[in-house]
Amino acid sequence: MKMKKVLALTCAAVMAAGTLVGCGGSADSAADSSAAEESTAASKVEATVATETYDHQAIENAGDITITMMVSGVASENDFETEQLPALIKEKWPNVTLEVTKLPDDNYYTSLKTKLASGECPDIILTQPMYAGQNSCYSLAEAGYLAPLNDMDCIKDRMASLSSVTYNGDVVTATSGVAILGCFYNKDLFAQAGIEGEPQTWDEFLEDCKKLQDAGIQPIVMGDKDQYVLQFGLYQLAADEIYSQNPDYDVQLRSGETSFTDEGTWDKVLEMYKTLYDNKYIDASQSLGYGASQAIQDFADGKAAMTFDGSFNVTPLIANGVDAGYFPIPGTNGVYTATCLAAGYSIYNKSEYVDECKAILDYWLDGESPVWDAYLATGKVIATYGNGADASPNYDLFKPFIDLLNEGKGFYWCNQAWPAGTETEMEALFSEMIGGQGTTVEDITQGMQDKFEDLLDE
Amino acid sequence: MAGQTKTKRKGANTSLVFNNRMYFFLIPALAFFLILWIYPVLQLFYYSVTNFNGVNYDYDFVGLKNYAKVLTNGTLVNSMKNTLIYAVVSVVLSNILGLGIAMILNTKIRFKGLFRTCAYFPALFSAIVVGFIWSYVYMPSSGMIASLINLLGGDGSAFNPLGNYNTALIAICLVEVWKGFGTTMIIYLAGLQTVDESLLEAGRIDGCTEWQLFRKIKLPLISSTVTINVILSVIAGLKAFDYSFIMTNGGPGKSTKTLMFQVYETAFTDQKMGRASAFSVLAFAMIILITVIMLAYMNKKEVEL
Repeated sequence: MKMKKVLALTCAAVMAAGTLVGCGGSADSAADSSAAEESTAASKVEATVATETYDHQAIENAGDITITMMVSGVASENDFETEQLPALIKEKWPNVTLEVTKLPDDNYYTSLKTKLASGECPDIILTQPMYAGQNSCYSLAEAGYLAPLNDMDCIKDRMASLSSVTYNGDVVTATSGVAILGCFYNKDLFAQAGIEGEPQTWDEFLEDCKKLQDAGIQPIVMGDKDQYVLQFGLYQLAADEIYSQNPDYDVQLRSGETSFTDEGTWDKVLEMYKTLYDNKYIDASQSLGYGASQAIQDFADGKAAMTFDGSFNVTPLIANGVDAGYFPIPGTNGVYTATCLAAGYSIYNKSEYVDECKAILDYWLDGESPVWDAYLATGKVIATYGNGADASPNYDLFKPFIDLLNEGKGFYWCNQAWPAGTETEMEALFSEMIGGQGTTVEDITQGMQDKFEDLLDE
Repeated sequence: MAGQTKTKRKGANTSLVFNNRMYFFLIPALAFFLILWIYPVLQLFYYSVTNFNGVNYDYDFVGLKNYAKVLTNGTLVNSMKNTLIYAVVSVVLSNILGLGIAMILNTKIRFKGLFRTCAYFPALFSAIVVGFIWSYVYMPSSGMIASLINLLGGDGSAFNPLGNYNTALIAICLVEVWKGFGTTMIIYLAGLQTVDESLLEAGRIDGCTEWQLFRKIKLPLISSTVTINVILSVIAGLKAFDYSFIMTNGGPGKSTKTLMFQVYETAFTDQKMGRASAFSVLAFAMIILITVIMLAYMNKKEVEL
């Protein structure tokens, strides 16, 4: 009996100690975090004042080193990140071993958080612009996890174009690609319906949908069961209707000058997109049960004339040899594009090999190295102007978008500027509306505003 | 007195079955339990009163704000409603189906072993595989069921259970039943095999019908098995996450967001780890409460039977 008491006391003591360790751990982490912030601040000063460039020779003088890298995605045969990249880096620097881990998105996010929390983060990680996703460069930079990259060769001359990966004056993500949202269309089906060119106005776009419908062709297929695909159409219309009128709309959202409920902004965008469902140009009774990959398959099989999708899905969309075109959905104010900087690579601030990592990324993203060529050949990245853009696979499809971007008519994807979670509320409420649950456009904008404020509330 | 204590201690130490030294062997298991289970649970309580976002460890204490938010923003009500519907449907169907098939497979029929294996087969697949397969089974127009409807002259394109607000939750629930009834069946089968044949024979001699045999003899004798199965199904139902995540991602709208799915979304999409922790604590309390009430009720029923 006494022994049991001793045991019970021991358990209680261990648990209490565990709790204290828990608190202590967090305090330590907080201390680490503030240390990291100090270190970031120090690096910032260094980057802007002391050093014009980093130590390019560091990688050669480092001896045998292993650099770790973690990215999201699913590894394929002869995968670029996990197979080609380490081999090409080894070829360039025989003393460097690059170990790459590639994890499916959700695993990547969880793993990244765990590794950051335990101070075991890989040297190079994949991050997304602004506030997009759980690996958004802004939230990671805010926590002091990312090294400033201003002195990198592939960055220092084009910092102006990297604003969505710049946090407090420091570029924290190295990216040389763009990602596009647009409307893929089947040229043969357009011809069958008597449509001659790509629509230049919203009314023309609606007319074309009508012509296709009258010809017995499903105008647009979407996989709305995966609700995120709703963003593909809505963000294009937001570029046309909101950002073209007020490029600072999202900045003002955060300061409270604008609101999702403002008339002529999101209500207009949502109403326009809803029109496509009201007229059955997108059949909600089908699309809500269709997954994204099933919609891609339908388009590739020629069962529908159009689908809204990103440049990142071009390969499966044209896999069956569909003669496809790609245009930005036109709005009532002209044609703009939702084209943003693609995800890129950041260096962990506490890495032992920050300069070595910079050398690797510079070599990779220089626009001419074998690594760059292999990277471009994956077809998943579209290079920005002046960096071998025309060598991008399917460049003809993407050129109009990049032209618009360079004319100043390209805007980032909305969710990059919102706290993560705002878009899921928008998607859920929009699904309810097209699913006949009585949700109105006003309910959606109000829901988005409430969620936005809730997420910003600390 | 001192002598008595000494004798007692000596006696305890000399027990060949379980002496005091045996407690030391508990330490490794206990350590694992404490570190990997108790400690994270305590951390959960701790995070539930902070505004931790999962990334930035420079967080603040916010008191009970997270709990207040969860209780007032409507997410708890919606997800609780969906979870309870999911749990009730899956508990009822998987137990009726499991018991029914166990009764059939407990009789003397040919290929009994083969049928038992087939019935248990779905339980062997992982939820992810089952979820993906059933997404294609349910797909409108060209899915398996839609194709069958087309083959029989119907309109397969109108069949869209996952895209319909009224059917999506039930549709994913049926997948849970399909995967889980095999396990339920095995437990019932084990229970039924403990029923003494002589009791059934005596019943038959007294003129019992098959229904009376089942109601008056078999069911009371397997009542503890029923309790186990029902409680296990209730717990599984209340923890529902897999199929909402894989097959519908909580949609359409919010119609298949269960408690666990909402916790996941709050933690990993909204990046409100503190609020998700508060949500988990509340969900944990509710699951415990429902399970305890169910257990008490079932135990009482067992005695009555």
